[in-house]
Order: sequence, then structure tokens, then C-alpha cells
Amino acid sequence: MNIKAFFSEALGQALELGIGTPDDVLRHVTPDVLAAYLPKPLWARLFTACLGAPRVDAQLVVETIGVPNLCEHVPTAILWHCISEIAQRSLGQAYTAPPAIVTRPRPPSEVSSSSSSTASGSMSASGSMLAPPPEALEAPVAQGTSPGKLGPSIPPVNEPLADLITELEQDERPITPSRGRTPTSQRFRQSNTGIGRLGATQQSSAQRRPQAQASAPIPSVSGRPRRTGTEVEDIEDPVREKEIAVDDSQLVDWQSSETTEARSDEDFSDLGRKR
Amino acid sequence: MWFANVVKSGLENQIFNPADVLAHATPDVLASHLPPELLSKVLAASLAAGAMTPERVLETVTPEMLATHIPHEVLWACIAAAAARAGVTNVVVS
Repeated sequence: MNIKAFFSEALGQALELGIGTPDDVLRHVTPDVLAAYLPKPLWARLFTACLGAPRVDAQLVVETIGVPNLCEHVPTAILWHCISEIAQRSLGQAYTAPPAIVTRPRPPSEVSSSSSSTASGSMSASGSMLAPPPEALEAPVAQGTSPGKLGPSIPPVNEPLADLITELEQDERPITPSRGRTPTSQRFRQSNTGIGRLGATQQSSAQRRPQAQASAPIPSVSGRPRRTGTEVEDIEDPVREKEIAVDDSQLVDWQSSETTEARSDEDFSDLGRKR
Repeated sequence: MWFANVVKSGLENQIFNPADVLAHATPDVLASHLPPELLSKVLAASLAAGAMTPERVLETVTPEMLATHIPHEVLWACIAAAAARAGVTNVVVS
């Protein structure tokens, strides 16, 4: 949507057809508006034309600047008011100018009360939207408190809650909690990678569960480097393929063996260091 | 302020006239350096009078305003040119 092109065509056609006049344009696009929005080169052009012309009027200004330039730089709201006035006049309707500044009139009673309370308040500024808000109504102050103090409203001593407080203060019994507090235990498992692992191992070595000896890794027969977990190619292991002859006497009966029972009095504290 | 007084004195003593001032303070210079409210005043005064003349421009843009907004080199060029026209520059200052 090119609203500026639309305005340019609408205003240009209105001027060409005589529906609108350059005076209509300058009634909305005032010198102040031009000063605010027209770029300097166009102002220079306007000055040059005005100084060289025998007569300076709205037609000279509009023709010098040009309708497309006007529509390019002047705010669309101003242009719309201009076009709207031309259209309404051509339709035989009365042009109603848009409200310029929205103000909120104050009732006379409020004005009289505020003027009596504030000695330096100006009437023109008080009716504006930018005027400061009315003064806050003062809340009634509770009895027994000083009116100027700020803070929570504490009931006075002579109120019913004070009796309970005085009873509690006079009670000589020691204050004992109804439920004993339990020492806070650790809620999360310690990470194996934690830096306090070594110290914790030495301190609680007697409480740790026995751990089995890890089997030594099978050396690589082929001499190739070990595969990592990310490798996907499957290389057949020659050790697995080779069958080893085992005699029955070499087998161990795990059920009858007592050496596999874990004893809690064994010291496994140096297990981690061996690993 | 000195430049303002010199321009004012030159106009009063007819060393140069408003057209000479605007020959240096061209529309480009005016449009580039004058504040918007002053541009608006000049145009409004010209529209009200029906003409924009150098005299009317300098009625609105007084020498004080010229010295405030227009570069002093421009004002000095105007003064120096008027002095040259008047033959002042032929005087050798020892």
C-alpha cells in the first residue's frame, strides 16, 4: 500500500481540476509544518523561487515544492485533513476539523477545592492531560499510633491480641519443638568424577561395599590400535575365534567356593588406587 | 556579536544592502543554517506581504540572527566584498 502515492494523485488531481486550491493546501501545510518536515534543498529551492518571483502566494509555494514532494515529506495525517476538507466541501458538507488536543475538563467543584488547597496551581495546566494527578486521599489513622510514621500497622498493646502476647511472655517453660529435627542427609549421589572423591574414599572406606577386581584388558593381538566406540566397522577378533581346550578339573564350582563371599571386615580402601 | 554589529552597521551606513547580504547568504545557505521556526517566519511573512524581498527577509532574519546561525565566513565575505567595492581594500595598512 503506497499511501503517499495515493495522496499525491488525489491532491494533484484536486488541484488540476480546481476542486481544491493551493490555499487549501497551505491552510493545513502551514509554514510551520513545512519548516518541520521539508528538507533543506527544497527550502533552498523555495527561497530561490520566492526571491525571484514578483508575487509570493500559496500557488507559488505549492508549485515550487510540488505535490509529490509535499506528499513525500508532510505527515499523512495532515495531508488527509487537507484532502478531507476538499472532499467535504465538494460534497457540500461542512468540514469538521479534527480535535487538536484532548483535554479533560474538570468539574467546578474539583476545581474550586484544588484551587483552595493549592495556592500556586494554575488553572490552564490543571485541566490538561499532562497535569499532575490529584493528591492522594489520606487514609484514616488508627488510634494509638502516631500519624506521621510509616510502616506496618501494629495493633496497640491494649487490644485483645496483646493478652496472648503477654501470656506467652510470662510463660517460663522452655521452648521445645514438637518434632525433633533430623540431621540433613545428602540427597544426591556423589558423582564419581567429583573432586572430593578421593578424600571421601579414605574416610568411609570401612563402610564401602566390596568391589570385584576388574579383569585386565585383553591385549590386542594384531597390534592395531584399539577401536573406539564410534567406529562401526566390525573386525573379527582372532582370540574369540580360537577355541581353547578346557579340562573339567580347571573349572571352579562357584556355589561351594567360600572365597567368593564378601566380608565386611576386609579392607578395600586401596582398591581405587590400584586401579 | 561583533559580526552582527558589523552587518548592522554596514546596512545602516549603506555600505551594503540586503540584496548584497543575500548574495552571500544564498537560499542554500539560509535553508541549511536557519532553524525551522525562522524559516517558517520568513515564509509566513512573505506570504502575508505577497512578496519575498531581501529587505523583508532581513526584517525577519535580523543581523543578530544572521550572526547566530549563518557561518561567520559568509558574513565576512559579504563585508569584505562591500569593502572592496567601496575601495577600502586599496588602503594599505602598515
